[in-house]
Amino acid sequence: MSELSVQLAEALPENTGVHPQWLKDIRETAAEQFRSHGLPTRKDEAWKYTGLGTLDQGGLRLASGLTTAPKGGANPSPLTESGLQLNMLDGQIQEQIGDIPAGLTVLPLADALGFGVNGLQGLLESLPVNQEKGAGGYGFSALNSATLDSGVVIHVAAGTDAGRLTLVWSTSQVEKPLLFNSRVCVILEESARLELLEQFESTNDNANTSNIVVQVDLAGKSGLQHIRFQQETEKSVLITRTEVSQQTDSDYAYFGFDLGGGLVRHDLHTSILGAGAKSGINGAYLLDGNRHVDNHTRVDHLACGGFSDQYFRGVAGGNGRAVFNTAVCVHPGADETEARQSNANILLSGRAEVDTKPELEIYADEVIASHGATVGQLDELAVFYLRSRGLSEHEARQLLTTAFCKSVSDKLADPLLAEVISQRMMDVMPQAE
Amino acid sequence: MLKITNLHATVAGKEILKGLNLELEAGEVHAIMGPNGAGKSTLGNVLAGREGYEVTQGEVIFNGKNLLELEPEERACEGVFLAFQYPVEIPGVNNTYFLRAALNAQRKYRGEEILDSVGFLRLVRQKLEVLHIGDALLHRAVNEGFSGGEKKRNEIFQMAVLEPTLAILDETDSGLDIDALKTVAEGVNRLRSKDRGMIVVTHYQRLLDYIVPDKVHVLADGKLVATGGADLALKLEEQGYAWLEDGGIATLDVESAVQTANP
Repeated sequence: MSELSVQLAEALPENTGVHPQWLKDIRETAAEQFRSHGLPTRKDEAWKYTGLGTLDQGGLRLASGLTTAPKGGANPSPLTESGLQLNMLDGQIQEQIGDIPAGLTVLPLADALGFGVNGLQGLLESLPVNQEKGAGGYGFSALNSATLDSGVVIHVAAGTDAGRLTLVWSTSQVEKPLLFNSRVCVILEESARLELLEQFESTNDNANTSNIVVQVDLAGKSGLQHIRFQQETEKSVLITRTEVSQQTDSDYAYFGFDLGGGLVRHDLHTSILGAGAKSGINGAYLLDGNRHVDNHTRVDHLACGGFSDQYFRGVAGGNGRAVFNTAVCVHPGADETEARQSNANILLSGRAEVDTKPELEIYADEVIASHGATVGQLDELAVFYLRSRGLSEHEARQLLTTAFCKSVSDKLADPLLAEVISQRMMDVMPQAE
Repeated sequence: MLKITNLHATVAGKEILKGLNLELEAGEVHAIMGPNGAGKSTLGNVLAGREGYEVTQGEVIFNGKNLLELEPEERACEGVFLAFQYPVEIPGVNNTYFLRAALNAQRKYRGEEILDSVGFLRLVRQKLEVLHIGDALLHRAVNEGFSGGEKKRNEIFQMAVLEPTLAILDETDSGLDIDALKTVAEGVNRLRSKDRGMIVVTHYQRLLDYIVPDKVHVLADGKLVATGGADLALKLEEQGYAWLEDGGIATLDVESAVQTANP
């Protein structure tokens, strides 16, 4: 284990002393897992392309949950209007702006654990932290579960359309970089609807690490639109995992936009447990400088008639490095599933690198599946076409790369938000070399 | 307006234009015809500044400027417009957005005021009306999924909005049925003006039934070999290009046509 893993493990208490027992079990089992395996390394298949060397060098320390009182600080302005906004500083709710509509419950995790929220225990217990299971590399999840006390629980009652809820994540400026753990639990009852907009944007130039786990439980016919927009500073490290379970005819629509961050890793896993459930998983990543962005997505089809569509577009310039791994598994009995995977990338410099890998396993009948992954350059004829109409070479290239990424934001239901995000992408678009 | 002198150009190391001379005055429409492989499309691409088309000799003076020294976008801003034989599909770039960006880039270059979206839309509506084109193509991505006719019409529409002083139409008739051809030709005719020169490059004469040129040039093996009036095009339609090998222009018996002097 790395020195950092040993230090982090030492910071985890042997006996948490928390109540109730099930919570104590979750935390202590996870701590035990972490003590034996530590953070993932390149030896873990799922972390082959993403090393954590930068974390080792930074003298990172574990922020000890609730003992760090959130300090006031400038918050980034939200991307767009929202009925309800939570400013999440250092993994905790710092401020709530707007009123909570009827049918929606929003609580700090610690309060939710105290009061009890329907379905919360089962959801928390369901997070995989066991290293031996799957492809490994669950070290961050284990660490997150071992320190389970910060975060937010969102519950939408049956039949309620709760509208948009924005979570604006940032971390404080500290002398030495800290690692913050936070958990978001989203529970949608039958036919409930919610749009969750997560925005990651620190206003200061810190080198903190955020380790955030989002767990989503979608009951029958419910629908969640989940937008994740990150434009973190070049030094910051953002490790996130989203685990979604979907019951019959539920609808999960994910849109991820990676425009910043130094080291970014996002694992997104949806399990289609009920017949006819739909998962649309879309993302765009734009990187230059020395940034490293790794997206791992996986859809498990465990029920018949499910639909999944994974659509990612990437642009890499400078010394940027992007990793995209998309997996679909159609399990026995998940007949008449339709699964699509598409990933295309544009390289703008000779030093940038993209590692893309689609994986597809089918053990069911009557399955429609397609997958494609490409890495290429801009179409030079298109560049010439635009220039021949008067656009400069720079403008032409910027227009083409933005259009390429806009194919993701254009899928958003809200045209205003799509426009804001497309403009942000244009502003940070890597330059061709 | 345009003077091309002894133009030699290579593509992928192969010489395609071998000493081409051409003079065009404002207000004139010249047709360039010729067999396949004569260098017709190369001429348009060289004038527009496409990469990979290397000029090895000669000069092109356009309104007093050395055109070959300018970047493609500078040529566009100076008033050169190439209507592509195969207009490029650009998914994700809205036609209106693109055209406004292009027009404003040109206006900025010329020190004119930038048009806001309202002003631009007003201009666009006016052009669409003149060209009898519906506004459906405004909302679509540039050429994406357009039929052959729609693509060519979009080129003419762009030309109408950008108002170039020199328009080069590269085989604008290729791949069009007769109705689409007529629509495109009508559009071109509406854009004829005393301040604008046009070079219509075509393999077949039929486009010239609708766009009647002031002069017709025959391009063969990288040079203009004959020049005449509109009647030359008709004769070419009748007799093809076999005369190029059997005794020259005299055998064609076209009153207006003369053998072009080459250096």
